[in-house]
Amino acid sequence: MSLLIQDLHACIPDREILKGFSLEVKPGEVHAIMGPNGSGKSTLSKVLCGHEDYEVTSGSVTLDGEDLLAMDVDARSRAGLFLAFQYPFEIPGVSNANFIRAALQARLPKGEELDAVGYYKQLYRRMDELEMSRSFTARSVNEGFSGGEKKRNEILQLMMLEPKYSILDETDSGLDIDALKVVSQGVNAMRSPERGFLVITHYQRLLDYIKPDIVHVMVEGRLIRSGGPELALELEAKGYELTHAA
Amino acid sequence: MSVAAPIAEPEMEKPLSPPLSSAPTDLTPDFSKLEDAPEWFQSRARAAWEEFQSLPMPGLRDEHWRYSQSKNLSLDGLHLAGETTEAEKQAAIEGSKGLTHVAARLIFLNDRLIHSQTDGLEQGVVVLPFAEALRSHGDVLQQYLMKRKADLGSEKFAALHLAHVQAGAVVLAPKNAVLKAPIEIFHWVSGVNSLVFPHTLIVAGDHAQVTVLDHHASLRDEVAQSVAVADFVAGNGSHITYVNSQELADSARALHISSTTVARDAQVKALQLQLGASFARSESVSDLAGEGSRSDMLGVSLPFSSQVVDMRTLQNHLAPHTYSDLLYKNALYDKTRTIFSGLINVADGAHYTDAYQKCRNLLNSADSEAVSMPGLEINADQVKCSHGATSAPISADELFYLKARGIPDQESRQLIAIGFVEDVISRLGHEELIESLDRRIEEKFARQAA
Amino acid sequence: MSVETPDIADIRADSVGDFYFPENHVYDAGYGLSEKTIDYICDVKNDPDWVREFRKKALKVFEEKPMPTHWATTDLNNIKFEEFRYYLAGDRKAKRSWDDVPEEVKKTFERLGIPEQERKFLAGVEAQYDSEAAYSNVKKVVEEQGVIFMNSTEALQQHPDIFRKWFGKVIPTGDNKFSALNSAVFSGGSFIYIPPGVKVKHPLQAYFRINSEQFGQFERTLIIADEGAEVMYMEGCTAPKFETATLHSAVVELVAMKGAKIQYVTVQNWSSNVFNLVTKRGIAHEDAEVRWIDCNIGSRLTMKYPGVVMKGRRARGEVISIALANTGQHQDTGAKMIHAADETTSNVISKSISIGKGRATYRGLVHIPKHLKGCKNNTECDALLINSSSRTDTYPAINVRGNEHATQHEASVSQVSAEQIFYMQQRGLSEAEAMSLSVNGFINDLVREFPMEYSVELKRLIDLEMEGSVG
Repeated sequence: MSLLIQDLHACIPDREILKGFSLEVKPGEVHAIMGPNGSGKSTLSKVLCGHEDYEVTSGSVTLDGEDLLAMDVDARSRAGLFLAFQYPFEIPGVSNANFIRAALQARLPKGEELDAVGYYKQLYRRMDELEMSRSFTARSVNEGFSGGEKKRNEILQLMMLEPKYSILDETDSGLDIDALKVVSQGVNAMRSPERGFLVITHYQRLLDYIKPDIVHVMVEGRLIRSGGPELALELEAKGYELTHAA
Repeated sequence: MSVAAPIAEPEMEKPLSPPLSSAPTDLTPDFSKLEDAPEWFQSRARAAWEEFQSLPMPGLRDEHWRYSQSKNLSLDGLHLAGETTEAEKQAAIEGSKGLTHVAARLIFLNDRLIHSQTDGLEQGVVVLPFAEALRSHGDVLQQYLMKRKADLGSEKFAALHLAHVQAGAVVLAPKNAVLKAPIEIFHWVSGVNSLVFPHTLIVAGDHAQVTVLDHHASLRDEVAQSVAVADFVAGNGSHITYVNSQELADSARALHISSTTVARDAQVKALQLQLGASFARSESVSDLAGEGSRSDMLGVSLPFSSQVVDMRTLQNHLAPHTYSDLLYKNALYDKTRTIFSGLINVADGAHYTDAYQKCRNLLNSADSEAVSMPGLEINADQVKCSHGATSAPISADELFYLKARGIPDQESRQLIAIGFVEDVISRLGHEELIESLDRRIEEKFARQAA
Repeated sequence: MSVETPDIADIRADSVGDFYFPENHVYDAGYGLSEKTIDYICDVKNDPDWVREFRKKALKVFEEKPMPTHWATTDLNNIKFEEFRYYLAGDRKAKRSWDDVPEEVKKTFERLGIPEQERKFLAGVEAQYDSEAAYSNVKKVVEEQGVIFMNSTEALQQHPDIFRKWFGKVIPTGDNKFSALNSAVFSGGSFIYIPPGVKVKHPLQAYFRINSEQFGQFERTLIIADEGAEVMYMEGCTAPKFETATLHSAVVELVAMKGAKIQYVTVQNWSSNVFNLVTKRGIAHEDAEVRWIDCNIGSRLTMKYPGVVMKGRRARGEVISIALANTGQHQDTGAKMIHAADETTSNVISKSISIGKGRATYRGLVHIPKHLKGCKNNTECDALLINSSSRTDTYPAINVRGNEHATQHEASVSQVSAEQIFYMQQRGLSEAEAMSLSVNGFINDLVREFPMEYSVELKRLIDLEMEGSVG
């Protein structure tokens, strides 16, 4: 049981971006990936979710033993993979509540209806935890949301969909310290022996709030170092220059 | 391209200010005058004359003349503008009050050059009267002269123009030349029933920057007609700013046909300022031909009395990642009419286009009439496009606010109208130019008040 | 709902209306259109002389008028008028009970769910099969209020006075080529009269069904709401998809007297071989309201611009329309708002969706003439493109005279982007679900304007059209 990535190579039409990436995230673990801009961190998250702009040229990814790369984008999601987007998209006209409800409905067997009362109860509870106003249920998904509101909304979806493996892609970018705390609390509330997390970030700051078990350094499409939380502090102090030497 | 609404017949009205005589006119060009012009030009002029004769006057069912009519530009009774007296030349030169700082100034009267001042030119920029450019820069003209077919309704008039053209400015800015001061051209017309053909051609080389201001004016209040053509060719990364300031006499008629071709990363701003004439029509086409190109199409009109302003535009997106923004504003008084018909065309493959089009009409009298026909034709993907048209009187709140500050009704209304058009003018981004056009607008209000 | 018989021919099993029964006509005017065709129709229908004359005059106007291809699509030139049949009918008399309706006709409407809807929420139903109504009935309580609801053929015989007073007055024969065609060969359609002050609680519905190949349906509908009356009328339509073209050209005239309200709801779902060229206009007298709710999903080419002439003070006109153009379809729709009295208000909201190689066009006309005071128009039209080869056009014309009116027109074009779909898929929605959610988001606020029963149907039809449109 794990999200297992082995020797993954992926490219866009003119360039290879992932060059032999390997990592195993087991349930209960929180992994952090740090790395300079352009190291391929965001590409990794999109490739794992199946974005069509990227072509996987070799390697394998399995989710609890199932071949993830053989699945469509939505099947991967239903299999238990969640991505909190760095830049969440706006969906005009579709209310937040309806969107999350549709996503939950998609996880039920055909013919089975989601219990609306239970759904709203859960939704409101999670929104309260994230200090989100009730008005967000009726607003169109991410439309006109501030950067911080969008990130909270990503975590709200994570909490509602309860995925086995979550990737947080630069969730801290653009957040002030208060928002960062709230978002981190939300993530921490979801930590459990059944769930694995992959936290992608450029800055150590986020890791003060979401404490990782293992920290990895990614450079030029692959991991070059791994260690405990102290590695993040070292990177913060010395900068990524050091990673080139390593 | 069809710009029609369903099942609506065009409105018919009597033509405006008919010429004094309605006898059919002989407008046959005197081709013998072209003997020293290049061969290619002679044959094009002759072909244009043939074309003019073969084309019919646009009819009532012509979509490009919907809500208007080509009779307003009837050629009956008109003749080619003739010789002028010394006193008239003097009056024209003295009347040519324009900008303080110019790189060059040419003054034409009845299609003849009467004054030329080019001492402010630098960096190899050339400003020549049309006839001279034909002799000295024939190759450039052969490449660019009226190469973009007029297709917004006045093909016949464009052909007549080409058959007769001999006046106007040819502006050639070589690569990287940046000319800060504007080039200013005056076109005067004199004599009852005179017909003139002012021409403007601006060719900007890569990364060149140039600003040109055309004036059209009458020496006296008499029937006359101007059939002008202006073409702008903006090379890669170049900037062209152009203003057509039309201040012909109240009984005169004006047609201005212009085309703009914008190459990669180039920018063109063009403003139509319609102040004079009983009937003024502009046809402006912008071809966004290169990636990253941008075109700003601007228009202002302030018709009084029974003036009619007829504006036709096309924002033609031919390449991906192109941007166009059109803003036309009309403040109407008395028994005037404005007709705006604009089209945004996003060609197949012109993805990632941003195109905006706005026409706003301020109706200041019970008998003024504004027609707006904003159109979109979208054939591409990932396009951001919008258009809007509004017609409304001055807002009561705004008026109340000004009056509450002690400004009398009449002045308040005028201030609001000037403010209404000012944001179009200010988009030219050239201080002296803006001030000069503002002055002309204020003068028009002053004349009307008098 | 589905009653199978060996006779039925299913063309596409997953579609609502794509089936037909063998033809079983008693009356057939034959192919082509001439004075003879008109005489045949008049004889069969036992038309009074003035109608015969009216029809013949209209035929001349039709023949003289050119195709409007100077502004409209040249696809119109593909209509071969000589290849259509202009009148096909079984029994001419509409039945008051479904039990009396011929078996295959009854089965057709049962399959389309009409009797079921009638029981559930309708005040009256008229069901037209080719040229004539097969069934026409109005609930007793409604009839007792003095409401007249019958097909036009019957109304012409039974209520000649009211009929003639208004017939052809809102839309003159010569309004356009197709209104002239309809005036020449019209048959079927509804006639409704609501007496003063009567507010009909439940909608009246008409369903237009084409069963025959190479046929033209030309119904004529006339609705008069007398002073203070209120009515909602809904129409639906389907036809089987034949290899050859089918023609549908209706004329619909509405008259809302002082303080009356008429809502006219259309869900157009013709098969993609139908040329649907319809003229619809209403007159709103003082304080009256005419509201067109128009939804176009089917047909090969639709040209339809519902209009309101606001003739009395404070009259209101509204057009709310949704168009969906899939590959092989051109939805050329819009609105005409003619302000003819002080303080009249009009509102147009139009949304179109172009999918695949579909093309959607909006044409609008707003006219506020001289010497009026306090008129207002608001127009919004939004287009959604799904696929780089789809196309959308917008051609409004707004004509305002005088300084006491306010008009506002806004249009926008947007896309469902690949990134937006990816985002939704990452939350577990299939591509089709994601697309459907986006499209519904685009039209949601408009669908709310539809009566409940129809909005459900509409969403289902749109989802059906969206299937296979992505990827």
